[in-house]
Amino acid sequence: MSEPLTEVAVPASASEAEQPAQAQRLRRRSRLETWLFLLPAALFQLVWGWYPLLMAFLISFTDAQPMLPSHFTGLASYLRVWNDPLVGQAFRVTFFYGSMLVALTFIFPLLIAIFLMELPPRLMRWMMILWFLPISVIANSILWRYLYNEQYGLLEYIATEILHLPHQPFLNDPHQVLFWLVFPAVVVAGPGVAGLAYMAALQGIPRSYFEAAEIEGAGFWRKIWTVSLPRLRPVIAVMLVYGIIQGLQDYTWPQILTGGQPEGASRTVMLYLFSYIQNQRYADATALSIYLFLVIFAIVVLFRTFFKEDPDA
Amino acid sequence: MSMLFPKVGRKQPLLRLGWWLMVILLSLGVLTHLVPFYIMIVTSITPAQDTLSTTPVLWPLHPTLAAWKLVIQWAQNSGSGALLAGSAGEPFWVYFWNSFFMTSVTLLISLPVTSMAAYATSKLLRGRRARWTFLFFIGTLMIPLAVLLIPMLFLTLNFPFALPGASIPNLPGTDQPFPTLSLYDTPWAIIVPGIFNAYNYLIFKGYFDTIPDSVLQAARVDGGSEFNIFRRIVFPMSVPVYSVVAWIQFYAVWDSFLWPQLVIQSNDKAPTALAIYTVMNNFINSGVMDRATALSQSAAMRSALAAGLSWNGLMVLALLQTFPIFIMFILCREYLLRGVRIQGLK
Repeated sequence: MSEPLTEVAVPASASEAEQPAQAQRLRRRSRLETWLFLLPAALFQLVWGWYPLLMAFLISFTDAQPMLPSHFTGLASYLRVWNDPLVGQAFRVTFFYGSMLVALTFIFPLLIAIFLMELPPRLMRWMMILWFLPISVIANSILWRYLYNEQYGLLEYIATEILHLPHQPFLNDPHQVLFWLVFPAVVVAGPGVAGLAYMAALQGIPRSYFEAAEIEGAGFWRKIWTVSLPRLRPVIAVMLVYGIIQGLQDYTWPQILTGGQPEGASRTVMLYLFSYIQNQRYADATALSIYLFLVIFAIVVLFRTFFKEDPDA
Repeated sequence: MSMLFPKVGRKQPLLRLGWWLMVILLSLGVLTHLVPFYIMIVTSITPAQDTLSTTPVLWPLHPTLAAWKLVIQWAQNSGSGALLAGSAGEPFWVYFWNSFFMTSVTLLISLPVTSMAAYATSKLLRGRRARWTFLFFIGTLMIPLAVLLIPMLFLTLNFPFALPGASIPNLPGTDQPFPTLSLYDTPWAIIVPGIFNAYNYLIFKGYFDTIPDSVLQAARVDGGSEFNIFRRIVFPMSVPVYSVVAWIQFYAVWDSFLWPQLVIQSNDKAPTALAIYTVMNNFINSGVMDRATALSQSAAMRSALAAGLSWNGLMVLALLQTFPIFIMFILCREYLLRGVRIQGLK
């Protein structure tokens, strides 16, 4: 904006003529630098992000033989996967597992975050360290395998010796296995990354909002409902989408605890996909993964249309 | 930071009761949250026979370090440790080193690469170019890992082709197949795909967006190159976000299970997560987890139990898998708990 002004005000001189050239050189150098900043990450994103994504669609239309050259087979693998009765079961299991996981555990990080913010700073610090103490998923799943043991596990002891119930099958009952898979996440719920995001967002709410609500006579729950939750709305939306996506893709937990047993009642799509890969049915595995992708995509789109961003947040 | 409890009249009995109720609720929650750690530690110092008793051991009545000793011996691959090693193949430090190597190399390459790209998108590009670069980097964010799994597997087998081995095209003009590079069954198969991560990029970008341009402008006037500005001014300002991303990445790579299971074949290349899973399956198959078999008086079982080969041994392994995550948490906790605002996530 100031350029024409200076041009008029100051007559051209030798140093003035030099300046644009120097500026141009600087700009060119900085453009080169920008590229150097971007290049490594761009290469990795291209080779390990976009390229496999494109190839996934290509491979799903071929027979992807491990030993013979592949042939284009159109939708054959999609049809094969569609007609596989175990795929239907796997999707049912995945839906049940994912929705139960989200329904039973989603609220905890939110509540913990809101409550933690009420504590005096010192107490809050210590509580946070304990609450956010991480545990390895592998270690935790091995521990729960022990606790669920039908001969000598802690839960069996609680059920038979303390509650005087008959022998409980826990993970061995096809009708209960999904619930018992989710159960540990409910009992020992921690706030996790979602809790951190909520706390950060809560810190960003101006104090005056709560003061205003207080003057209007709002109590404890009323303030949560009318101030905290609406302000957290965007973060909650993101965490919910993430929770659903993660729940539908869970692999480690069911694999270590049950391995899909009994009778495939806990075999999620990811577990079934893995067995496809082990049987070298690569094209079918890719087709199955694209079905899963479409389901997740549909959920995200549905979510976006129904859960509009708050206009005044 | 109290916001929900009124500032005036906190001394009222009802409010005071409510406040204490909340604190008690939080404390009880923390206790249940810590129960898994407690059970793991107690089980790891319980004799093997007791871990199979129908009355669970909730207090170490006969504490013994047998299982810990066993794992250390396993580390030296001697004595009764050989028994355990027989079920996994290698001394434990091999797996530990594998995990450590993969995780630290991933972090060392990933943090500068990701943060520099995020910085360039945030501060060096403008307008349409910035928007497209941003989309290019976060476009894969919502793609489930499942979709990329098979092409990535082929890519580790026949880099740079995400195709099965038999479908690789010939060199133009010859009937020699195109030369390929195999990352399969090496630590690089885990390191390289983990270097760029759209989620980490987003966290970095969100943070760099909050740095005011005037700070950088001042440095530019002083004649610093962009790289020097980044290294000397932006980096020291951004230690919190680096520690948060380092933590997320460390946890993800250290505890990864599905991908190593696909691309690591040989026993001596496996990370601890895989090794522990193998040990657990071997234990279950050998019968030391089955009460009737294990407590039968067969000599093999008795020596196995005496050596600590049961759930107590597994819990030692589980704790060893958790410790590095603990240490990383303690190192990063200041910044983690202060809560970096994860922006740009909307």
